[in-house]
Amino acid sequence: MFFLKMAFKNLTRHKRRTIITALIIAFAILIYVITEGLMIGMTEMSFENIINLESGHLQVADQNYWEDRKELQLKNLITPAAEIENKISQTDGFEALTRRLNFAVNLNNGIDELPVTGVGIDLETDSRVFELDQHLVAGRMPEAGSTEIIMGAKLAELMDFQLGDYAIMLIRTEEKTFNTIDGEIVGLFNTPHPSLNESNVFLPLSTVQERLNVEDKISHYVVRLNDQDLASNAAEELSSRLSAPYQAYSWRDAARSLVTMLEMQDIETQIILAIILTLAAVGIVNTVILSALERMEELGMMKALGMHEREIVYTFMGEAAGIGLIGGVMGVIMGIIGLAIFNINGIDMATMTGGGDMTYGFPLSGTIYAGWELESFIFVFVYGVVVSVLASVLPALWAARKDPVKAIYHR
Amino acid sequence: MSLIKLTGLEKIYQQGKIEVPALRGIDMEIESGEFTTIFGPSGSGKTTLLNMIGCLDKSTAGEIVFDGHSINDLNSKELAEVRRYNLGFVFQSYNLIPVLTAFENVEFAIRLIDKHNKKERRDKVMSLLEEVGLGDMADRRPNELSGGQKQRVAIARALIKEPKLVLADEPTANLDSETSKEVLELMKEMNEELNTTFIFSTHDPQVMDYARRLIEIKDGKISKDQRRD
Repeated sequence: MFFLKMAFKNLTRHKRRTIITALIIAFAILIYVITEGLMIGMTEMSFENIINLESGHLQVADQNYWEDRKELQLKNLITPAAEIENKISQTDGFEALTRRLNFAVNLNNGIDELPVTGVGIDLETDSRVFELDQHLVAGRMPEAGSTEIIMGAKLAELMDFQLGDYAIMLIRTEEKTFNTIDGEIVGLFNTPHPSLNESNVFLPLSTVQERLNVEDKISHYVVRLNDQDLASNAAEELSSRLSAPYQAYSWRDAARSLVTMLEMQDIETQIILAIILTLAAVGIVNTVILSALERMEELGMMKALGMHEREIVYTFMGEAAGIGLIGGVMGVIMGIIGLAIFNINGIDMATMTGGGDMTYGFPLSGTIYAGWELESFIFVFVYGVVVSVLASVLPALWAARKDPVKAIYHR
Repeated sequence: MSLIKLTGLEKIYQQGKIEVPALRGIDMEIESGEFTTIFGPSGSGKTTLLNMIGCLDKSTAGEIVFDGHSINDLNSKELAEVRRYNLGFVFQSYNLIPVLTAFENVEFAIRLIDKHNKKERRDKVMSLLEEVGLGDMADRRPNELSGGQKQRVAIARALIKEPKLVLADEPTANLDSETSKEVLELMKEMNEELNTTFIFSTHDPQVMDYARRLIEIKDGKISKDQRRD
């Protein structure tokens, strides 16, 4: 305790140097906290967009369809049945259910053609599960049984469509014959999910089923729960009650690649932190060496009095821990202020991606609001102190192993 | 039994390819409770000899027996243990820790041997500070003390753990003659009161007047060893 007290008192010898070294740690912590906060914000927004606009909380599909779902083939579709829907509605946290049929479309404006994803939606129930209707920026939702369609304002702009125009949609039926839907654009949406705005058209389910000649089949059910955290367990539990080939999948299963990408991003953030704190550690090394050089005669006296090398090392480590603590506290305070600014004002995604439309695969656009987790603060604070202490070990050993005679006479 | 017995002590420093002998065969015995001055011109080997006796440096040849035990074969950790429990040091430039108060500087040394509880430690430090005349300056930091006061703190620090031997390398070199006298009187008083053995190096004649034994070193050898009553 005495040596720790002495170590902390030593920090007052060169207050400016202590503060500057601590500030390096503080800035490293600030950068990490802001990066992590924006990552948390991006993750939360991405998951919300996936759930509210793409996958719901749960999807129920034929497992053979699910495996090849991105190919948009009209194979392994489901025939809706009250028995399945009853089982789904008994799921823990169940709120709503809707049916969807995804299919491949070649969107044609008379000049150009673009492959997009068509989605047949049950207009009566879709808004209970998804919030597509809340993002209409022009027009309205299609009417059931009609050939009215809605699409992203961005897609419309790309294909030079206006509200009220007719878009020719080339489709292939289950029997591989070509068919078209002459869809009147009655609504344009602009969601915070960029790929939805750029590559999806939505139209009434019954119309799609008729034109694709699939009777009343759907590709999958989509379920909304009252808590997204229930999804994984609910999917497992529901799957156990459904008979083959039906299977329930959580939104995490649907967004597997995003989850993986975010995990990778998290590793990247940790690497950034490690690099920044390593640079900060150089500051600690520098401070300890300077302190040792300045106190060489004192170190000699300590050794003459019989102080062991490890006790001298502990004293320097205590000083480094003190710098780490001061830097940690400053970093956390700066981090809280920084995060509060990004939490209240947000940051435009375009600013982060260099002003373009790039989203780097994240299903989000617009303004990102930083999130925060207490664990991040605790982690980075402890990490900062530990790095400071570890950085001091080698220079402290160097100082402690000085020959006492040379140290006393500063030779 | 002597507290210190040196036999054929030699120390050669290597300066590049040149060997520089600092001590050339010292034979000497110091009894417990002695108040001895080692004197001689600069470069004669006083400090080297003091460092050998103080277990700070190792000899090239010869033997050092401290309190009946040869210290020749001890490693640096074992030598530190000998210093920790048996030796006190007083340096020319005081070598106090500037961020600690006078009390804490003295306490620092006793903390290393950690034999006392908090109250005992406090009482012991305060009583010694009072003995060296700094009872009312215990809370002052070194920069708030004069040279003489700093050296008094250093003496208290050397004596607090009741060592068998106190080594002082030119303890009055940075002090004026009046303060030097006070410091030397204090050391002599402590020697008589606590029966602690003192060895100090100097080339100040005033310092030599206080010694009961004078050992002169010239060119790394003892040229005179005189006892006074």
